[in-house]
Amino acid sequence: MTTAKVNGVAKRPSGFQQALAAKIFHWVNIISVFAMMGSGLQIYNANPVFGGRAGLHFPSELLLGGWLGGARHWHFFFMWFFGLNLLWYGIYIFFTKRWKNRYVGSNDIKAIRESSNAKRRNYAFHRIVYTSMIPILLLALLTGLGMFKPVQFDWILGIFGSWEALRIMHFISVPIFLVLTTLHSLMALKVGEWKLVRSMFT
Amino acid sequence: MSDLIRTRRSFLTLGGMGMLLTGCGRGAIQGSIENTLYTLSDPLNRTFEQLIFSPSKLAQEFQANEVNPESLLINTAEDNTPTVNLDQYRLTVKGLVNNPLNLSLRDIRALPYKSTTIRHICVEGWDAITQWGGVPLVEVLKKAQPTSEARYVFFRSADGFVNDQGQRSGFYETWDMASCVHPQTLLAYEKNKKPLPIENGAPIRLASPIKLGYKQIKWVTEIILVATIPTQAGYWVDLGYEWYGGV
Repeated sequence: MTTAKVNGVAKRPSGFQQALAAKIFHWVNIISVFAMMGSGLQIYNANPVFGGRAGLHFPSELLLGGWLGGARHWHFFFMWFFGLNLLWYGIYIFFTKRWKNRYVGSNDIKAIRESSNAKRRNYAFHRIVYTSMIPILLLALLTGLGMFKPVQFDWILGIFGSWEALRIMHFISVPIFLVLTTLHSLMALKVGEWKLVRSMFT
Repeated sequence: MSDLIRTRRSFLTLGGMGMLLTGCGRGAIQGSIENTLYTLSDPLNRTFEQLIFSPSKLAQEFQANEVNPESLLINTAEDNTPTVNLDQYRLTVKGLVNNPLNLSLRDIRALPYKSTTIRHICVEGWDAITQWGGVPLVEVLKKAQPTSEARYVFFRSADGFVNDQGQRSGFYETWDMASCVHPQTLLAYEKNKKPLPIENGAPIRLASPIKLGYKQIKWVTEIILVATIPTQAGYWVDLGYEWYGGV
C-alpha cells in the first residue's frame, strides 16, 4: 500500500493535498484553542479547581489577559471562533461524508492488530490520535457552555453531576488536548514528514 | 454627589490599571488588547445571553442540608462595610416609575417573603449553595409601577467603601429588567435562615442564581429605573468585568 493511496490522494502520488475547508478548520482551531487555553488558565488562576485560592497557580508566561476580567474578554471573544468552527466543520464532514474515510475506522483498528506493515500501523495510530481530538474539543465546548450558562443549560450540569465535576472536566480537557496535539504532530511527521505537515498549513 | 462620583471614578481607573499591571509585565498593550476584544465581542455576547435567557426558567433549588456556609467567600475589596442605621434606613424606588416608594425595613418585611436555596456562582469560578430569604424584587417593582420606558434598573448601595486615600464611596450596579423580574431574584435580608450579616450586605442585598456574584450588590439603598445603561454601569463592571454577568 503506497503512502499516496493510504492518504486517499491517489491523483497526486507525489504529495499530499488537503481540502481548503480542512485547512481553514485546522488554522482557526489552532489559534482559537490556544487563545482559549491561555485565557482559560488565567481564569483558572483566580480560584484553582484544585486547592482554591491557596492552590497551584500557573505562571503568567503561559497566560493571556493580564487578570481575571481581561482573560474573560479573551475567552468570550474566541469562544465564538472555537465553537462555530467546530459547528460548521461538523456539518461539512457530515454532508461530504468525510467522517467515513478521513477519520479512524474499523480497518485502522484491524491494521494495528494484524498488519506487519509499520507504515500502515503508524498511519492507523495517527488516525486514532487526531480523531480522538474531536471528542476532546467537544468536551471542552460542552463543559464550557455548562459553566457559561449553568441555569439556562442546566442539562449540561445534570450530565456531569456537580459544579465541581463540570469545572474539573473543563480543565482536564486542556492537558488531554495538549498530549493529543503532541502525538498528532509527532505522528504526522512520522507518517508524512514535512510534506504532510505543510499540506495542512499551506 | 457628582464630586463623589468623579473622585471615585479616577480612583477606579487607577485601581483598574493597577490590576492590569500587576497581572503582567506589559500592562498597557495587554490592556488595550483586552479592551479591543471586549468592545468587539461584548455587544454580541450580551445580545446572545439575553436572547437565550428565559425569565420563567428557574434555577435548581437545593435542600437545606446541601448548604455549605463556609463556601460563600467575601471579596477583599468589599471589606470596608458601611455603617447603616437600621431605624433610619430607607429603600427608595424611583426613576421611571408611576409610584415612587420609600420603604422602611418594616415595610420591606411586610412584603411577600420568599426563600430560595440556590447555587451562588462567583466570577472566579467557585460556587456556594446558599439560602437567601427576602422579598422578590419583582414584587417591589410591581408596587412602584414602572413606566413603559423603563428597561434597566440601577441600584445604589450605602456608602461604605473607603479607598487608600481615605475617600468614601459606594457600590452601584445596573441590571436588565428581565433579570430583575426573574422569580428567584430577591432583595434579601436573610442568609442561611439567619438575619443577613453586614459583610454579606445587610440590611438589604440583591441575591439571585441568574447573575454572577459581582452583580449582586450589597447594602442596597436606592433603586432607580432607567431607560438606558448609565455610563457608570456598576462597581465591578467599571473595573473591567462584563456588564451582563448572567449565568
